[in-house]
Amino acid sequence: MITLGSQGKNTFLEAVNLKSGANVLECYQCGKCVSTCPVSQYMDFPPREIMQMIKLGLKEECYMANSHWFCLTCSACSGRCPREIDIPAVMEAVRHLAIEENHINDSKKVKEIRKFHEIFLDMIKRYGRNYELRMMAEFNIRTRNLFKDMHLAPKALLKGKIPLGVKPLKSAKAIKRMYEVAERLEKKK
Amino acid sequence: MARVGVFVCFCGANIADYVDVPQVVEEVKRIKEVKYAVEYKYMCSDPGQGMIRDAIVQHKLTSIVVAACSPRMHEKTFRKALSDAGMNPYLLEVANIREHSSWVHQKDKKAATDKAMDLCRMAVAKSIANEQLHEISVPVTKRALVIGGGIAGIQAALDIADARIPVVLVEKSPSIGGKMAQLDETFPTLDCSQCILTPKMVDVASHPYIELIPYAEVLELQGFVGNYKVKIKKKASYVNFKTCTGCGACWQKCPVKVPNEYNLGLDKRKAIYTPFPQAVPNKPVIDAEHCTMLTKGKCGICAKVCLPGAIDYQMQDEIIEREIGAVVVATGYDMWDPKPYEEYGVGRFKDIITSLEFERMVSANGPTNGVPVRPSDGKVPKNVVFIKCVGSRDEAKGIEYCSKICCMYTTKHTILLHHKVHDSHAYVFYMDIRAAGKGYEEFVKKAQVDTAATYLRGRVSKIYKKGDKLMVRGEDAQIGQVVEVEADLVVLATAVSAPKDNPELARLLGISYDKYGYMSEAHPKLRPVETAKAGIFLAGCTQAPKDIPETVSQASACAAKVCGLFAGDTMKKDPMVSTINNEYCSGCQNCVNVCPYGAIVTDEVPVGHGSKDLRTVAKINEGVCQGCGSCVAICRSMAINLAGFTDPQIINEIVSI
Repeated sequence: MITLGSQGKNTFLEAVNLKSGANVLECYQCGKCVSTCPVSQYMDFPPREIMQMIKLGLKEECYMANSHWFCLTCSACSGRCPREIDIPAVMEAVRHLAIEENHINDSKKVKEIRKFHEIFLDMIKRYGRNYELRMMAEFNIRTRNLFKDMHLAPKALLKGKIPLGVKPLKSAKAIKRMYEVAERLEKKK
Repeated sequence: MARVGVFVCFCGANIADYVDVPQVVEEVKRIKEVKYAVEYKYMCSDPGQGMIRDAIVQHKLTSIVVAACSPRMHEKTFRKALSDAGMNPYLLEVANIREHSSWVHQKDKKAATDKAMDLCRMAVAKSIANEQLHEISVPVTKRALVIGGGIAGIQAALDIADARIPVVLVEKSPSIGGKMAQLDETFPTLDCSQCILTPKMVDVASHPYIELIPYAEVLELQGFVGNYKVKIKKKASYVNFKTCTGCGACWQKCPVKVPNEYNLGLDKRKAIYTPFPQAVPNKPVIDAEHCTMLTKGKCGICAKVCLPGAIDYQMQDEIIEREIGAVVVATGYDMWDPKPYEEYGVGRFKDIITSLEFERMVSANGPTNGVPVRPSDGKVPKNVVFIKCVGSRDEAKGIEYCSKICCMYTTKHTILLHHKVHDSHAYVFYMDIRAAGKGYEEFVKKAQVDTAATYLRGRVSKIYKKGDKLMVRGEDAQIGQVVEVEADLVVLATAVSAPKDNPELARLLGISYDKYGYMSEAHPKLRPVETAKAGIFLAGCTQAPKDIPETVSQASACAAKVCGLFAGDTMKKDPMVSTINNEYCSGCQNCVNVCPYGAIVTDEVPVGHGSKDLRTVAKINEGVCQGCGSCVAICRSMAINLAGFTDPQIINEIVSI
């Protein structure tokens, strides 16, 4: 059971609104986002419920959910939202806050998703762009599942969807500098 | 010999798809009195009516049968076509082959056609016995009675009076204003209720065409449309309004304190009082139940301090009689008593109040000067829980219907709470948010987004006390979990219910009311302002729960109806009324008892020609008779005939099938 009214101001809502630039209070719980979202069926709380939880200030429950990790930020939801709420930005804000306060869902799936994010960012840092083959290899190694999706490889290779090499961008150095600045700023916090 | 013309309508596909119309025409042509029969796609259209007009002249027809839709739909249209061709309009018969045949027998075309032919044969047979009838003229008294001085009654009275028609406005309490005078601000614009209402109240008092009778009740209504006589009981106020200046010395000195009805008992008033400072008329009355001078003969202070000597302890109730032509019923509504909600602790916990009590608290002229407080300790609440549908949509404890206004006034309350107590938080338990109205949905958004009221979807299951807080438990269906809100104050959005005096008033006016006690309209869609009794109209919540804009619209509609009724010196009325053959009437008075309109009275006629002895017979008042036929059915001596539905007509119909 949830008790409301004793915790005073809803600081969680304020933090999410500030970080996302959206106003969660605008949500009137129609559920169009839920039926639009391609992955809502895999989430433990679909986007509409996440919105209501933020409104009620249920911070812990919200952080521990896997929904914001599953969110693809495809923006299908916000494209159809009748109140024009930037739901992916809200999900992003919850992700950030969860990391900042170190309240993260520790299920296997979420761990994998987080590794995927890390590897992807690493690829960008190195090459200024994604290097699909290496990314797939690294993901499979680091998640200890070597043959995951391997059956798709021949077809994808033949169609040229997975180039064997990578040509780093000319601006790769500049991108690397951006990473360094961002990391420095993050440490200062 | 009768020459009947029959006109069968296709009604587009409505009739023609299920009834073989040409076959019907062939069939009626076989009746010997039928001299002309024809079918047409839309009989009600101008060419269709033209066919009727031409045939009347060409074939010298003596009566007309139109086989088409319900007579409720187009009887008037076709009667007019007959008139235009110089024929008495009541020589028309309508055979309803749409509602009574094609629509209800869509699966069996043969049966539908057979029935349509039967209906046509009956109509032809009846029309042969039709007689020429003429509209009845009834004189009109051009004065209207408005019962109830809330916003509905005020608006109706002002609109009628502005058309220079005298109005008698009767109000039960000492001041007009009604429930609207108790409101702080009004949704969805948040304009101050008093600011928009009190000028209208003053207009009523000063209008040359309005006679305001406050502190009074309607006792009796007799007569019929355009010619009513009303008896009004003016309760003794013990204050002579003519000499009273409204100075207020009396109520300042009065030693008796009683709960103040205007503030719902949240504070006290004196035994001599005006309901509120802006009252109209702004003259005090003495509450005879509590005044010690009137109950025990001790005190008399008000009379001593009254300089103009307006206090009169000997004053008696007064009966006022007026002749009027029309009545507008505008008795408003009552707030439903939430006592059955024991699981909420109603009555046990002081900090549970009703929405109207909250309204009085946040009102600038209220008992707490506009600040909501907890009745238990007088502290300003921080967390306030509003519970909607208390009594509404609850068949077990309350009433089945939706009270319509609670969603919006609760929305308003969350905003007012935020305005009055900036660091407060409103929680609203709701089942649905019904915000259908101009600017209403936007208003709800304002409450939810701008003032951050938390809406929780679910009915509250129980409230219990924890320390000095109230724990309100309900489900939030949006996340499928039970929630408990720690509340300082709980406000119940109690249902709107019919005034408890409505059934009694309905009986004395001779109009009907529904199972909840609301006055019934003549037709839910097409005659929402009229009652089944001619000349009596409904405005505002006396008919069903309504908000202020709807109430005002209906009140103005009433005024238009009254003005229409009074437009000529006489009124026209359908001639379908009962007539009594005195020679057959035995004076049993069964008809007097069954007449739902009170149209039959008794009369005395000589026993025989030139005789001085008298005997009792029934007498029909044509102005009141609505032609329902109840008296015809009950009359054992067959003395009563209903014009347009005489015995020969009905017998012809029966014989024809």
